[in-house]
Amino acid sequence: MTNRRNLLIAATFTAVLLVLGVLERTFEREAEAQAQNGLVDAPRFEVDPAFPKPLPNNWQLGETIGVDVDAQDRVWIVHRSDQVVYGETGADQNPPAASCCRRAPPVLAFDQQGNVIKHWGGPGAGYEWPQSNHGIAVDYKGVVWIGGNVGPDSQLLKFTQDGTFITQFGKSGQNKGSNDPENFGRPAKIYVDPKNNEAYIADGYGNKRVVVIDADTGKFKRYWGGYGNKPDDTNFGTYNPDAAPIQQFRTPVHCAMISVDRLVYVCDRPNDRVQVFKEDGTFVKEIFVKKKTLGDGSTWDIAFSKDPQQKYLYLADGKNEKVYILLRETMEFLSSFGDGGRQPGQFFAVHSIAVDSKGNLYTTETYQGRRLQKFVFKGVQKVPRDQGVVWPK
Amino acid sequence: MRVRSSVFALVLIVAAAAGWQIAQPLSAQTGAAPKFEVDRLWPKPLPNHWILGSVTGLAVDAQDHIWIVHRGLDSLTQRTEAGLATTPPGSEDCCGPAPPVLEFDAAGTLVGHWGGPGQGYEWPISPGGIEVDAKGNVWITAAGPPDVPVAAPPAAGAGGGTGRAGGGNRAGGAAAPPRPADAHVLKFTRTGQFVLQIGKAGQTGTKDSEASLDRPADVAVDSAANEVYVADGGASQRIVVFDAMTGLPKRHWGGQGTSFTRVSCVALSKDGLVYVCDRNNNRIQVFKKDGTFVKEAFVSKATLLAGSVWDIAFSPDAQQRNLFVADGQDNKIFVLDRAALTEVSNFGGGGGWPGSFRLVGSIGVDSKGNIYTGETFEGKRVQKFVKK
Repeated sequence: MTNRRNLLIAATFTAVLLVLGVLERTFEREAEAQAQNGLVDAPRFEVDPAFPKPLPNNWQLGETIGVDVDAQDRVWIVHRSDQVVYGETGADQNPPAASCCRRAPPVLAFDQQGNVIKHWGGPGAGYEWPQSNHGIAVDYKGVVWIGGNVGPDSQLLKFTQDGTFITQFGKSGQNKGSNDPENFGRPAKIYVDPKNNEAYIADGYGNKRVVVIDADTGKFKRYWGGYGNKPDDTNFGTYNPDAAPIQQFRTPVHCAMISVDRLVYVCDRPNDRVQVFKEDGTFVKEIFVKKKTLGDGSTWDIAFSKDPQQKYLYLADGKNEKVYILLRETMEFLSSFGDGGRQPGQFFAVHSIAVDSKGNLYTTETYQGRRLQKFVFKGVQKVPRDQGVVWPK
Repeated sequence: MRVRSSVFALVLIVAAAAGWQIAQPLSAQTGAAPKFEVDRLWPKPLPNHWILGSVTGLAVDAQDHIWIVHRGLDSLTQRTEAGLATTPPGSEDCCGPAPPVLEFDAAGTLVGHWGGPGQGYEWPISPGGIEVDAKGNVWITAAGPPDVPVAAPPAAGAGGGTGRAGGGNRAGGAAAPPRPADAHVLKFTRTGQFVLQIGKAGQTGTKDSEASLDRPADVAVDSAANEVYVADGGASQRIVVFDAMTGLPKRHWGGQGTSFTRVSCVALSKDGLVYVCDRNNNRIQVFKKDGTFVKEAFVSKATLLAGSVWDIAFSPDAQQRNLFVADGQDNKIFVLDRAALTEVSNFGGGGGWPGSFRLVGSIGVDSKGNIYTGETFEGKRVQKFVKK
């Protein structure tokens, strides 16, 4: 009896293994997760509650609407200095109404210790500063790019790291829609591909497309809409999670980034999805994230892990106030951290996300969140599916 | 750019002339004064994806438990901040308002929560101050509708432009008919059982009326005398004293010299003095319990807008040598010598990171001398500063 039962168990076990072997990685992972009491192997982060240091000069941040990390691991943010609450900028008033506070310049760079080391930005001669700053990128040549997402904003700006104007692509107020070959439609994010010197533009709050331009000349090279379709500015109404997915992006198209294996990841934010393309715009696949999320949507910004394969994809969700950790190859959800609130490790409208050379994550928050936060990479460890607020252990 | 720099320089010069330290580092605490250090990880994250609205009141009880009252959903941006509170829910995971009254232990663990409308009393449109008396009763003032933050003129600074898509608008749904203004004080047990209501919503009085209140901002309880002092912060601008058991009025008085402009706190010292925050006048006035004026002092006298004296608390030593002032306009805590009412130090600064403030409007101190603060409007935080 015992032998036969053991044989049966062994046979069943083998069969299970065989089945597992042909199943998709998703299921494999789930089985693994169950076996490990709900834990999965994924990058673990802890918030650094002392980062950054208090801003100098009694500066306050407005909606903090972009973050990137340069080759020297300096952290760059762009915020809307005009959006600092009036009652919080008494020192800017004439006469000063209080010792607190003053609007910080729109572009700030921090060193690894959290000190402000560069600050500039705003209107100037020879270029059109956006009505509403949105998105910052420091490209592989060290050039700083800025977009803008309100009203007439149809342009991209390039500056040196000291804030000297270099060039402007597109003209304010000139956007002619999602098939305009020269102007942008309230561009949300810029990402420069070092291999081909091409800039991928999430375009944006006005248009419904990804645009790829020559990073030096600004010349349009190609663009596409949802599923790789020709962009269409039809108003598809409000997102309905129960309706069939629309064949176009819904504004805003909020991020567009290319990975080392030449896949382009696009945040189709109010559609609660990430679409993946080949670099020529051929649709590859999509995933939906927290599909019942309404309004602002769930897919706000993306960053890749720092290992050579970019094994993990980090996704910021400013509506559910989480950062998701996905296995990039399968786009399978592994874990998440964060929750709502104003304390370290909590978020209000986590909007942008970037990674430094050590794998640490930086986030910025818009609306009334108005913070830069740092999450220290602690290595790939066994973590729960929902890590909650990741305070230092 | 040059014009802006000149404006900045001018601001610096004017501010320096007014005696402000514009570049006050967070840690800078001058003079022979108690030193404090923010506990960046206090309190612990709330359960149930709860978040705080604007915190209007904070108190520390005899067990060193920290009590706050906040405005909840009324002060949250439903579309962007409180997706779980909309119909249908706008988000899957985050967030909804925490109950209005929260009790934390000294370690920052949430140990109690209650509040909201109920039988026999009128829950405020917006709460104001909170106080826990020696018997463990919890007093809350009804201070709504709340102050609207000062309307801003068009911004002249960098960035330009207004009316952006996806801003932080408050999408509240269909407008309900306005409720009568708050004009009352509520007394509960520490578990939230209703005990007493003084005053009635909508029945606001004048500064001479015996009992009627108008948007009272704060309370203090003299348990020995069984009296409750109310900072009557609306049109009347006065202190009114009631019997703490019956709610019957006993006496009242207004500002000495000039009228109070915004009575935002009342506190009782161990040596029998009544301290009143006259917020927009940037001053503290001190009275005997019968209303006899004793003295006054100004704090950050050049502060405009909402003023500097938002709430006060005493150090826990027998003499209560220090008086702490929460200044939500300068976003600082001023440490005063209580006897002389002179400043010995200050700390804080503006910002959303630990140790800085966004409109710090309430303050309390525990038996060890640790300071707790609550932030209103968009601050929406409670913080702890450990006495070193």
